[in-house]
Amino acid sequence: MDSDEEDYVFYGTPIEREEGITSRKKKAVAEASGQLRTLPSWKQEVRDEEGRRRFHGAFTGGYSAGYFNSVGSKEGWTPQSFVSSRKSRAEVRQQSIFNFLDEDEKAVAPAALMGVRQRLLGGRMGLEVLIRWENLPEHEASWESYDVVNAQFPDFHLEDKVRFWGGGNDKPPVRFTYARRRRRGGFSEGAEQEVESARQPLDERQRQEAESARQLLEEGHASKLVKGREELDGQSLGTSSQFDTFGFTAAQLALKQAEKEQKQRPSAIPGPIPDEIILPATVSIGVKLLLKMGWRRGRSIKDSHADSLYNARREARKAFLAFSSDDASAQAAPSESIQGDLENYIEQPANDDVRSSQGTHVYTLTPKQDLHGLGFDPYKNAPEFRERKRSRISGNRDPEYRKAPSMKNNLFGFKSGKVAPGFGIGALEELDAEDEDVFASDYDFEETYVQEIDEPSTKLTVDSKRKLITNEQGVLPGFRIASKADYQPERFDPPLVPKDFEPHHKFPGPLETDFRVADAGPPEVSPPVDSNLRLLIDGVATLVARCGKLFEDLSREKNQSNPLFSFLRGGNGHDYYTRKLWEARLKRADQNKYQLDEKVSPSMQKLTAESRGHILGERPLERSFKDASSSVASSDSVHLQYNLSDTFTKPKSLSGLPEVEKPFNDDPAKQERFELFLKEKYQGGLRTTQFSGASHMSEAARACERLDFEAAAETIEKGKEGKESKMPAQHITDYLATGAMQFTSGGLQKAEDPHAEDSITKKLYPKREEYQWRPSPILCKRFDLIDPYMGKPPPAPRTRSKIDTLIFTPDSIKTKNIEETVTENRDSFATPQSDTQGKSKDVADKELEVEVEVENVERPVDLYKAIFSDDSDVEEDTTSNLNKAEHPEKKAEAANTALSRLMAGDFLESLGKELGLEVPPEPPYLKNKSVASTSEKEVNENSRYDKIQSIEDNHGIPYNQDMSQDGRHKKNELIHGTASKHGSIHSEIGSSENKNDLVNLEKNPQEDRKDKMRHRRLSSSLSSEDERSRRHSRRRRHRSSDSDSDSSSGGRHHSRSKSKRKKNSREKSTSSGTRHSKHHDRRSRDSPSRSRHGSAKEHTKAKREKH
Amino acid sequence: MSTTELPRKETNVLKGHEGAVLAARFNGDGNYCLSCGKDRTIRLWNPHRGIHVKTYKSHGREVRDVHVSPDNSKLISCGGDRQIFYWDVATGRVIRKFRGHDSEVNAVKFNEYASVVVSAGYDQSLRAWDCRSHSTEPIQIIDSFADSVMSVCLTKTEIIGGSVDGTVRTFDIRIGREISDDLGQPVNCISMSNDGNCILASCLDSTLRLLDRSTGELLQEYKGHTCKSYKLDCCLTNTDAHVAGGSEDGFIYFWDLVDASVVSRFRAHSSVVNAVCFPLSLLFDGTQKKS
Repeated sequence: MDSDEEDYVFYGTPIEREEGITSRKKKAVAEASGQLRTLPSWKQEVRDEEGRRRFHGAFTGGYSAGYFNSVGSKEGWTPQSFVSSRKSRAEVRQQSIFNFLDEDEKAVAPAALMGVRQRLLGGRMGLEVLIRWENLPEHEASWESYDVVNAQFPDFHLEDKVRFWGGGNDKPPVRFTYARRRRRGGFSEGAEQEVESARQPLDERQRQEAESARQLLEEGHASKLVKGREELDGQSLGTSSQFDTFGFTAAQLALKQAEKEQKQRPSAIPGPIPDEIILPATVSIGVKLLLKMGWRRGRSIKDSHADSLYNARREARKAFLAFSSDDASAQAAPSESIQGDLENYIEQPANDDVRSSQGTHVYTLTPKQDLHGLGFDPYKNAPEFRERKRSRISGNRDPEYRKAPSMKNNLFGFKSGKVAPGFGIGALEELDAEDEDVFASDYDFEETYVQEIDEPSTKLTVDSKRKLITNEQGVLPGFRIASKADYQPERFDPPLVPKDFEPHHKFPGPLETDFRVADAGPPEVSPPVDSNLRLLIDGVATLVARCGKLFEDLSREKNQSNPLFSFLRGGNGHDYYTRKLWEARLKRADQNKYQLDEKVSPSMQKLTAESRGHILGERPLERSFKDASSSVASSDSVHLQYNLSDTFTKPKSLSGLPEVEKPFNDDPAKQERFELFLKEKYQGGLRTTQFSGASHMSEAARACERLDFEAAAETIEKGKEGKESKMPAQHITDYLATGAMQFTSGGLQKAEDPHAEDSITKKLYPKREEYQWRPSPILCKRFDLIDPYMGKPPPAPRTRSKIDTLIFTPDSIKTKNIEETVTENRDSFATPQSDTQGKSKDVADKELEVEVEVENVERPVDLYKAIFSDDSDVEEDTTSNLNKAEHPEKKAEAANTALSRLMAGDFLESLGKELGLEVPPEPPYLKNKSVASTSEKEVNENSRYDKIQSIEDNHGIPYNQDMSQDGRHKKNELIHGTASKHGSIHSEIGSSENKNDLVNLEKNPQEDRKDKMRHRRLSSSLSSEDERSRRHSRRRRHRSSDSDSDSSSGGRHHSRSKSKRKKNSREKSTSSGTRHSKHHDRRSRDSPSRSRHGSAKEHTKAKREKH
Repeated sequence: MSTTELPRKETNVLKGHEGAVLAARFNGDGNYCLSCGKDRTIRLWNPHRGIHVKTYKSHGREVRDVHVSPDNSKLISCGGDRQIFYWDVATGRVIRKFRGHDSEVNAVKFNEYASVVVSAGYDQSLRAWDCRSHSTEPIQIIDSFADSVMSVCLTKTEIIGGSVDGTVRTFDIRIGREISDDLGQPVNCISMSNDGNCILASCLDSTLRLLDRSTGELLQEYKGHTCKSYKLDCCLTNTDAHVAGGSEDGFIYFWDLVDASVVSRFRAHSSVVNAVCFPLSLLFDGTQKKS
C-alpha cells in the first residue's frame, strides 16, 4: 500500500463515508454537549449502541418514540407506580370552564400588559396592547386590540394599566412579537375588509388603486390632485424609518419588497405566498387613496380639500399679481376675491385645533428629541414658541408649504418680515394704528414695486395688507377675539358677616390701670353716716382701683341680693363710692408713676441676698470662722481655694439629718467629725471649714478620713433607701474595713456589739445588689443565648472600693519613716540592676544609660513597691528600722558601708580619668552603678564576683523561706545572723585587702546585696530563684521603659542570660552548697535560727576556700 | 400533694455504699437514681425495685456531687480530688476530666442542653466547662464569691450559686448582670422551685429561706431542724406545696410552703441526713433509704 500511495498524487481531502462521519460527529457533539439528557426533549435523539441514529417506521425525519422505539420504558410496560383512587373517590371535583377548554384555549387569559401602541385599525387609529398570556412564554405575547381585550377581560382592568403605561425605559423592548389571529369575535368590519383586500393579488390591487385615482381625476380635480400628490410625496419621503412610529412606511416597504421577490421567484405554489395572505393589510385602500390625494393623517377630509382649494386659489392669485399693475385701482378689482381668500386664510389657523377634533382622533406620538424630562412642556404657556420651534425643525424640509401658514400666524411674523420699519418701535412692541398709518401707504408702493420680480416679497405685501385689516379690528396681529372665553376666573364670595357682628372688640372687663387722672373727679360727697358702710365702700373702692373694673362687676353680681352692696348698683352711698373710687385711682396712678420713676417694684425691694439665698437653700455665711481663720492662716492660698470650691454643695431634699449612726463609736472625736460631715452633706449650703479644721491631723490623714466618711455615709443612705431603719452598722464597718485599717489609728477592727448585729440582720437580709458581669462569648453560645456584650471591649477589672485606689497615691501621704525605708530600698534596688547591666554592656553604652536613669531612678522604685510589695512591708520596714537603730552592730555596718562607698567613689574617679571618661558628680547609687561597670573590665575579677554573688544568692533562699514560715519574732534573730555573716565577710575582705584596690569593688556589691537581701526578706512572697530572676528583669523593665525600648528589650535578654550564667557558675562552684541549702530548707522549718547560723557559717567557709 | 400523701416511711433501702453518701440525685424521669459518697464511687440504682444497676469508679477521693444529663446519656460528677468527671452512662467510662479547680469541688450541674457543666468549688469560684469542645480549660470562671461555693443551680439563662459567704448570686447570661442576694448566713444548699420563681436556700443557722428571685425578697423561713455544720440538702416537693429538708439528727422534715409549719417529720436515719432528693433521703451511714 505504501508504495502504491507514493505513486499517486492526491489533491484535496479524501471523501469519507458519510455514515461514519455523521455518526462520529454526532457522537462527538453529544459528548461535547454533555449528556443528551440536558437537551430539551424534542432535541434528544434515540441512538443505538454504536451511537447511530435510529429511524423507524415510514418516517425519515428522525423522530423517535418510546424506549428504543418500543413502547414503555426500560422496565417494560408496567406502570411505575399505582395510585389508588379509591379513597379520593368521594372528592367532588369542581368543574370550571377550563376543564372544557383545549390546551391552547386555556391560555387565553391575559397575564400582563407588556406594551401599548397605536395603529390604524379598520380605517381609524386604535390602541393596541401587547398582552402576555397566561401559561404562555413571553415570546408568545401578542398585540391585541385595546377594546377587544378590555371587553373580553374586564377583570384584567386594562384601562388602569394602559393609563399608567408610561414610556419608561424600565422594560427591555419586546423583540419578537407577531399578531395573533384573534379567535373570539374581534373581527371588525374594517379588518375583514383589509384581509380581503390583502388577499387580492397585488397587481389587481394596484390596478384598483390606479382606477380610483383615475376616477378622481376625472371628477375635475386633476390639477389639485397632482399638486397634492407632489406635496405628499415630498412629505412621505421625508419621514424616515426613524420617525415611523406607526410602522406604516415599514410595512409598506416590506410589502414592496415581498412584491419584488414574488416577481423574481417562481414559486411552486401558485398564487401569493402564505405570508402575504396572512399578513394583515396595514392600511385600507380608502386610506391609501386619500393619502395619495393629499390627505394627511389627523386631518379631516373636508379640510384637506379646503386646503388644496386654497392652494389653487393662491396660485391663481399669484399669477394674477404677476400680471397686474401696481396701482391701487387695479388692485381693487380682484380685491374682493382676495379679500375672501384672506378671510378664509385667517380663519384657518384658528380652525386648526378644531379641525383635528373634527377629524379622526389622533394620538400623535411625537418622538422625543429634546432633553427635557418626560411630560415636561417648555411651551406650556407660550404656544408661540412651540410653533416657532416646530417650524424651525420642519422648515428645512418644506419651506414652501409649511412655513407660510405657520409663520404668518406667528407673533414673530413681522419680525422677520419688514412690516413696520418705523423708528423707535421695538421688535416686540405693539404696532399702533397711527404708527402704521404714517408710513404704510408709502412703503406699500415701493415694496410691491420691487416685488414684482420675486415671489416672497409679494407675500409680504399681502401680509402687511392683512395687518392693516387686523389692526382695524383692534386685535393683536395674528390673534382673533375668541367667541367664548374658556378661562373663567374662579371667584370666591367673601365670608358672610354675622348680623350681630360689631366691628370693634370689647374687652369684658378692662383693667383700668391707665385711668386718666386728668379727668375731673366727681364732686366731693360727704361720707354716709354708717361707718360700716363707709369702711366697706372705702375698701371696695381701693380694691376696684387696684384690680380694675372687673372686680366691681364681679362683686356687683355676687352681692346682688346683699343690701349692703347697693352702692355698687347706684343705691345708697353710690356717690360716695364713685368719689372714693376716683380718689383711689388717682392715688394708684401716682404710685404707678412713682414706680416707673424708680424702676423698682416694692416687692422686688424686699428681695435681698439673704432672702434669695434662703429661697435657693443656701446657708447664710457664718460670721465667725474660729477654726477657719487658723486653718487659713496655717495653710496656703491653694488650700483656701480648695475649700471654696467645695463650699457650694447641692441642697439635698432630705428634710432632716439622717439618724446618725455611730460607726466610729470607739473614737468619739472621729464620730463627732463624722456627724458634722453628715450634717454638711445632707443640709447642703456652705460647708464649714470646721470639718477640715482638725488642725492636729495631717493633710493626708484628713483626706483619708474624708473618704471614710463618704463611704460610711453612702452605706447609710443606701440602707435608708432600701428599707426603713435598716441601718447596717456592721456593713459600714465592712466598707471601712478595707480602707480605714490602713489609715486610721486602729480601733475599728474591734468587733461590733453582737446585740446590734442580731437585731439588724433580720431586717437587713436578704440584701440585693447588682453588678456588671460579663459572660464569656462561648458560654453564651453554649447556652444558646446572644452575648449581651457582643463587640464590646472587655471591662476593666472591678475595684473593690475607692479606698483601694488610694494605695497608689503619692508617697507624701505616708509618714516619714516609710519614706526613709523607701530611700533605703532604692539603694538596694539600684545596685542589683547595675549589676546586671554591668555584666552585659560596654562602658560607653552605660555612660549614656546612667545619665538617663539618674533622673528617674526614684519613681520606678516607688511604683514597683506599690505594685509588688505588700502593705505589710511598711510595718515591717519600720520595725526593721527600729531594729537597726537598736543594734550597735548595724550602726557599725552602716558606717562601714559609707566608708567603702567613699573609697569606691575615689577609685572610680581615678579609673574614669584613666579611661578618659567623664564621671559625673553623682548620687551614691549612681556611683555604685559605675563601680559595677568598671568591674566589668576585670575579667578574672568578674568570675570571682560571680562566685560571691552565687553564694549570696544561696543565702537568699533560706532567708525567704524562714520569713514566710516563721513569725515576726524571729526576725531579730535573722538580722542578727546576717549581721554576723556580714561581719565575717568584712573581716575576710579586710584580710584580702592587700591584693589590690579592687577589693573595694567586691565589697560594694556585697554590701549592696546585703541590703537587697534585707529587702527581699521584707517582701514576703519571694520563694524561688527563678522568680527572683524574673523580678530582676521586671524591675529592669520598669526602669528602662522610660529610657528607650531598644535598651529595654536588650536588657531583658541580657539579664536572662546573665541569670543563666549565674546559675551555671553557682552549680559549678557551690555544688555542695546547694545541697546544703536544700536540706537545710527542711531543717529550717523546725529550727530556723539554728540553720541560719549554720548555713551562714558554711557559706563563709566556702567563700574562704574559694579565695 | 396533700399532707397525707407525704412519705412517711421508707420503701426501699439501697445498700451498697461503703461509707457516707454525700449526694443522691434522681434522673429526669424519676426512674433511676444516682448516689455518690465517700467510698469514691458513684452508683446507679433503680430505687423502685431496689436494684443496684451500675457502679462508676474513677474518682480519687470522695465524690461530692453527681448530675445526670437530661437525655440520661451522660453523667457529671465532682469531688475532693478537684476534678470533674464526665461519664458515659452506658459504658461507665470517663469521657473527659476537667481540671482547674484549685481545691475541692462541691457541686456540679449540667445545663439544659448538657453542653456546659458548671461546677462550684471550695476555691470560691464557679467554673463553666465546655462539654462539646475538647478543651479542658474552663470557658468561664466566676470568682466574685468571697467564700466557698457550696451549691449551684442552672436555668436556661442563668447560673445561680450559693456560697458560704452568705450570698446567693445569680448570673444572668442574657443581660450580663450579676445579682447578689446576701442572706447574712452561710448558704450550703440552694434549690429552685419547680416554677422557677423562688429559690430555697439552706443556711447554716438551721434555717431554710425561701427567696423570691425577681425581687430578692425573703418570702419565708423554715425552722425546726438542725443544720449547723453539714452540707444538708433541701428541696421542694414536685407540687411546690411543701419544703423538704434533712436534719443533722437524722430526721427528715416537711414544711408547708406557705405558713412554714412543720407538716411532717420522721426519723429516716440514725445519723445525719446528708442529701434529700425528693422523695429520697440518704443516710450518712452507708445505706440509702427511699421513703
